Amino acid sequence: MYGRKASQLLKEFVSGEPGQLTGFNNDVFAQVIEECDGNILHLQALLRKMQEEGSNNQTNKNADHFGALVHHLSLVRNKRCLMAYVYNRAEVIQNLGWTIKHADLPAAVKEKLSISENEYFGKHSSNLQSYMLDLNLDLAVDMVPPKDPYIKVRVLEEIGEVLLSDQIANLAMHSILFLKRIDAESFISQGKMEELTS
Amino acid sequence: MAKYYDIDDILADEELVPAVFLEAVNGVGLLQSNETNRIEPRSKVELPFWLASELHLRQAASVNVPPCYNKKTREEIGADGAHVDLRSRCSYFYQLGCKIVQLIGDKTIGSLLLVAFQIRYKEVLIKAHTSASILGPKFLSLLTKEETKLYDAAKSSTAAFKSWRMGGPRFQKASVLGRKRKPIGE
Amino acid sequence: MESEGTDDYETLISTTDADLLKRSWRNEKAAPEILQFQSSLVQRSREQIQLMEETVEELIANDEDPLTVSLYQMDIDRTLFLLRSYLRTRLQKIEKFMFHIQKAEDLWARLSRQEQKFAKQSIEDLKTHLEQSVLSKLPDRYQSHLKQSVISEEADMGIFFYLNCTYIQICMFANNLISMFS
Repeated sequence: MYGRKASQLLKEFVSGEPGQLTGFNNDVFAQVIEECDGNILHLQALLRKMQEEGSNNQTNKNADHFGALVHHLSLVRNKRCLMAYVYNRAEVIQNLGWTIKHADLPAAVKEKLSISENEYFGKHSSNLQSYMLDLNLDLAVDMVPPKDPYIKVRVLEEIGEVLLSDQIANLAMHSILFLKRIDAESFISQGKMEELTS
Repeated sequence: MAKYYDIDDILADEELVPAVFLEAVNGVGLLQSNETNRIEPRSKVELPFWLASELHLRQAASVNVPPCYNKKTREEIGADGAHVDLRSRCSYFYQLGCKIVQLIGDKTIGSLLLVAFQIRYKEVLIKAHTSASILGPKFLSLLTKEETKLYDAAKSSTAAFKSWRMGGPRFQKASVLGRKRKPIGE
Repeated sequence: MESEGTDDYETLISTTDADLLKRSWRNEKAAPEILQFQSSLVQRSREQIQLMEETVEELIANDEDPLTVSLYQMDIDRTLFLLRSYLRTRLQKIEKFMFHIQKAEDLWARLSRQEQKFAKQSIEDLKTHLEQSVLSKLPDRYQSHLKQSVISEEADMGIFFYLNCTYIQICMFANNLISMFS
């Protein structure tokens, strides 16, 4: 059945955890494109045949006309599935831009993206950066309403000495310290620290 | 098409519905056991809704009500609606139902959808708000896609409420990095 | 009883920028569509924040009571959060509905200059991405990102505002069921 493979792509996408990506399925994607190529060949052949027989596609609705229609509908359907696949993945990638800088993207996530998606991520996050630069305001922090200016965190990865907004801190693995909320936030979203609550 | 990129809408359109061809169709490989690639009028087939509905609108085929809205389902819903396995009948029971009604105007489907939704919605909410996090997978396996979404939404709002009340970490790792964190020392 | 109207009026004129910002933020969060950008309010809030930051620096320089300083700081933090969250919510709407906002003049006019720049670039980037990934690989007559094929009479691949909340979606869904069938 036409369109079946394309819907598999979408089923695969929704079966993943929300907000996360599965690897871009190049194989199935290419198979769907192949199906589209098949559809257009059949479509054109049927239209040509009708032309040769001198029948008008609009007025003479014969078996060839309906054959062409089925191929047209299948193409439109496959297009919708492919577009939705790429578009919905692009939405996840847009959200990525709010939490992770392009350069900081872990290899494990990077290899799930197609070449074009990687490029898109880079472009979109620099677009976001340039908006923040225009405003001179970092929007990637303060993701939750502030309570205390300082929070207690545990360092999960060796980070080393870092210049923070109010101190130079040695962020050694396993150490537990009080940091300014604003300073800690990006480390936490990158998974390098976790917030501790008493 | 307002929901062009809506995956659920697309997948609901993938559900098979029974249809009868009214016209002959040339040059399509729709039916597997068909070597001539031609479909004769009056052929009975199962087609995905996206194709069947368009052919129906152009009078090339006629769509019939899918079996999941038949008398048997109706009776089972009437008897014990909350425990009918709707998912195995149609994962998009409600969405497809609405589409079918709009296409062929069968009035009886509407009341079936409404009754089923009302009975089951209550059950889904109660289960989502009260049961421990590991709920018997048996109940979940009965739910349609729409109901599962509803269940998840209710579940996560209960969880959000709890974490708000108890306090606890409010800053989270980016979801794309995966939920589990590396064990310390790795 | 008769003073009810004037009370409302008084609360209205005595509303501070902090309240106004909070209200705009709440409206923006709850509204499915993008609202008019509150340009002068944003401007004033930013000036206010800057002023308070200077005050805090002065207090620290004068060795004021740390409690006083931290109260000021928390006030700044709250305002900053509202401001950031307000701007963020708007950008996220733009990300989601860029094709639609671009087409509707009245919506486009609601964006700030910087938001328009961001939206233009976003549309460009997403379009390029969709073209590279999908459209360029499809047959000629199916390559538009706004029309399903050349025979479509109008742009039929739109994406319109919808509520990004599963609960509300479900309620609307149930409502539809009820209005369609009962």
